[in-house]
Amino acid sequence: MERARTRAICSFCVTWGVVLAAVSAGALPKDVGSGALFAKSADGSFETPLPLLETEVELKVTGMAVRARVVQRFRNPSDRWLEGIYVFPLPELAAVDHLDLRVGSRVIEGQIQEREEAKKTYTKAKREGRRASLVEQERPNLFTTRVANLGPGEEVEVAIEYQEALRYERGSYRLRFPMAVTPRFTPGPALPVIAPQPSPVSGITLVSTGAEHDQCIDFPVLHPDAGPAHPTRVRVELEPGFPLAELHSPTHVVAVYPKGADGAHLVELDDYPDRDFVLEWRPQAGAEPRAALFSETRGDRAYALLMVMPPDAEAGAASLRREVVFVIDTSGSMGGASIEQARASLLLALEQLDAGDHFNVIEFDDQTEKLFPASVPATPRHLELARRRVRGLRANGGTHMLPALAAALSGDAGHGDLRQVVFITDGSIGNEAQLFAAIERDLGRSRLFPVGIGSAPNGHFLSRAAKHGRGTHTLIANPGEVDAKMGALFAKLESPVLSDIEVLWNDEVQMWPHRVPDLYAGEPVVVTAELSRFAGDVVVRGRRGDRPWQVRLPLEPGEAQRGIGVLWARRKIAAGMEALALGADPDAVRVGVLAVALEHHLVSRYTSLVAVDVTPVRPLGELLASGPLPLNLPAGMQAPQVGALPQAGTPAALLRALGAVLMLVASGLGTAGRRRRRPMPDEAQRRRQRPMPADAQRRTR
Amino acid sequence: MSRARRHAAVAFALLGGSMVAQGAWIPAKAALAQLLLERAWHKTRGGEDAVRPWPWADTWPVARLRVPGQQRSVVVLEGATGRTLAFGPGHLAGSASPGAPGNSVLAGHRDTHFAFLRRLAPGDELAVEDREGGSRRYRVREQLVVHETDTAVLAPSARPTLTLVTCYPFDTPVPGGPLRYVVVAEAS
Repeated sequence: MERARTRAICSFCVTWGVVLAAVSAGALPKDVGSGALFAKSADGSFETPLPLLETEVELKVTGMAVRARVVQRFRNPSDRWLEGIYVFPLPELAAVDHLDLRVGSRVIEGQIQEREEAKKTYTKAKREGRRASLVEQERPNLFTTRVANLGPGEEVEVAIEYQEALRYERGSYRLRFPMAVTPRFTPGPALPVIAPQPSPVSGITLVSTGAEHDQCIDFPVLHPDAGPAHPTRVRVELEPGFPLAELHSPTHVVAVYPKGADGAHLVELDDYPDRDFVLEWRPQAGAEPRAALFSETRGDRAYALLMVMPPDAEAGAASLRREVVFVIDTSGSMGGASIEQARASLLLALEQLDAGDHFNVIEFDDQTEKLFPASVPATPRHLELARRRVRGLRANGGTHMLPALAAALSGDAGHGDLRQVVFITDGSIGNEAQLFAAIERDLGRSRLFPVGIGSAPNGHFLSRAAKHGRGTHTLIANPGEVDAKMGALFAKLESPVLSDIEVLWNDEVQMWPHRVPDLYAGEPVVVTAELSRFAGDVVVRGRRGDRPWQVRLPLEPGEAQRGIGVLWARRKIAAGMEALALGADPDAVRVGVLAVALEHHLVSRYTSLVAVDVTPVRPLGELLASGPLPLNLPAGMQAPQVGALPQAGTPAALLRALGAVLMLVASGLGTAGRRRRRPMPDEAQRRRQRPMPADAQRRTR
Repeated sequence: MSRARRHAAVAFALLGGSMVAQGAWIPAKAALAQLLLERAWHKTRGGEDAVRPWPWADTWPVARLRVPGQQRSVVVLEGATGRTLAFGPGHLAGSASPGAPGNSVLAGHRDTHFAFLRRLAPGDELAVEDREGGSRRYRVREQLVVHETDTAVLAPSARPTLTLVTCYPFDTPVPGGPLRYVVVAEAS
């Protein structure tokens, strides 16, 4: 009862975050085209239409590397000078290293600067009426673009480029481009709360991130009924370097054009950016890579990207006994298709358990509830109980992930050979740093396998949680993928292939990631390194069950590929940020990250790209208005169901009135009873001494 | 007097008494909580974050709202949930922080902390103290009575705006009606 009420209240306030965001679009005048947001300017006297936007994404895939060019087209439909601001997600390890600003035939290239300095450069240019653009990182996977001094009726293109490495798993390559941002919910108590920073321009404030990046980011979200805000075109030029057995997108309808030999293809997508785009391809049998080394030489330094696929486990190996703890997020942001996918995943998971396994199910929103006090054997009775519970799961409430995580990681009773925690969530949380620290501290022998659910799971959180938890993460974008993805995950969980992995170079190298996670069936070892030269051998070794395994590869320049150095730098920055999340000295981290980011021209927490035109375009007398562009709400996420202002009256007066009436009735009953008898003299005396009856009390209150 | 009648009288009296007591406890709790909140607020302004006014609290002070014209001041809590509103006005999660640029939405009970809203008129002054020690003055721009589904008052705004929401009508004894009284104030 109490729990139900708490849930209702919490779902209410969580929904509010979304309501507030959605309202900004919902309250638009009807004749406004989708994508325009009307905002009052600083003096409140007129309404300013914000620039429309079109996004064009070009992804060039060569081998394992992706070079992406994202072009955002800002158009100013008004007769005023505007500033456009746009928040957009990119893949977690995207290394953003290029910015250019195009107006007509002019191209202005962006420079990398320290974040504060870049902001100053931009603000100064904006004030002076010069055309400028700034790209900043808000979170490792969330960026903002600003473009200042858009003249009336003018069109400007802001292009950013990034480098990324593909994911290779179970024989498939996987390319992901995020297109929707999950609104986040930051549970308050444990976080330092930071006041929003006023935007330096007149007009609307966009983000409240300030210096601390693990904070909530507020931005307007378009109501689903308003239609897509920004048409997005995606084009993939695929040169895998081997013939393909399969090429498809599990998320979108795509047009595929074969292009020459060696599996080259052109893939086109013209769709709404309300869910992440995924493209997958598989080499023909026999062409699967076992090991690959990509290299780049820059001046006196060499960079390598090494991928090694361990051989599959031998058939007939004894299966291992496991303890599996399933944790499922039932917070409000999981509403809609997400909770259905989660339920389906969990039911599938329960089926995979063997008789000798132990398991438990933990459900959390703002409260954590365990199905069994401790893990139980997977007997038919226990499984039936679990299934019944899972079918009844509903999504509402806040996201208090920490207690759930603690509950899952603690309570290791030593059942079985392996302890696996499968954590199903959309990752809509803001206190990431805290969670990572908890995982690192309490992991023990458990391994954490986050499963991202919904159309825009927070991939950054999930992949890092997996890293700290020494497991892997799985992203499920649509209900059709549940079976395949969860099936693959469970197959993997049953068959750990390699643990305690080390990569040994014969040279002084800086390798990222520093610690290689355990490998499961179908996963390769992927590391990047900076070395002085290509010579000698590199050794990858680990443990398979109780036996050692190792492979030795000659370290040759191999296939030269542009951008490997950038990939290495991006991973080095990620490692720095991870150390920071775990409590490393902020100044030391800053110095280290700053050096590598400036050298490799990368946008990071401490660096931004800024492009400024030389000549002023806006007459100094003219006012500049600005505002954020609304984002599309991720597909399947429900528009506010409550759609109501908070309830703000107490039943105090009602209680008092009703109570008074009841007491009046009581005294009436008493008096009437007595009146029928003749009162004894001493009784009459007593009655006079009684306190005032209830009705008198009410009148005096 | 029959036995049954006497029992009924006692039952009614007890029930009625407990309801009156509960009805009296609600405003008492509201006033008492503000005393405890004052302390938490002082600590918050002293630089502590998320100070819980009592150990089992699930909220913490985020601002203090003052009405100079009525010599009145209330400590505002984080979150506009039913539990929070019993102790003080709540700041709606997702709206701008009180005192910061943007539209900050505060909700409070019409018969306790926000009873004073009915006596506000356009031009009246409000002041918000924020956690960083800053203070911002607002002037009431308008009052509105809206249906609970009319969420236009929550829309983000460019300039610092304070939107105070309570239930309407003020005097009805039955809570839970669909109307809301909204006071919109802008930074002066």
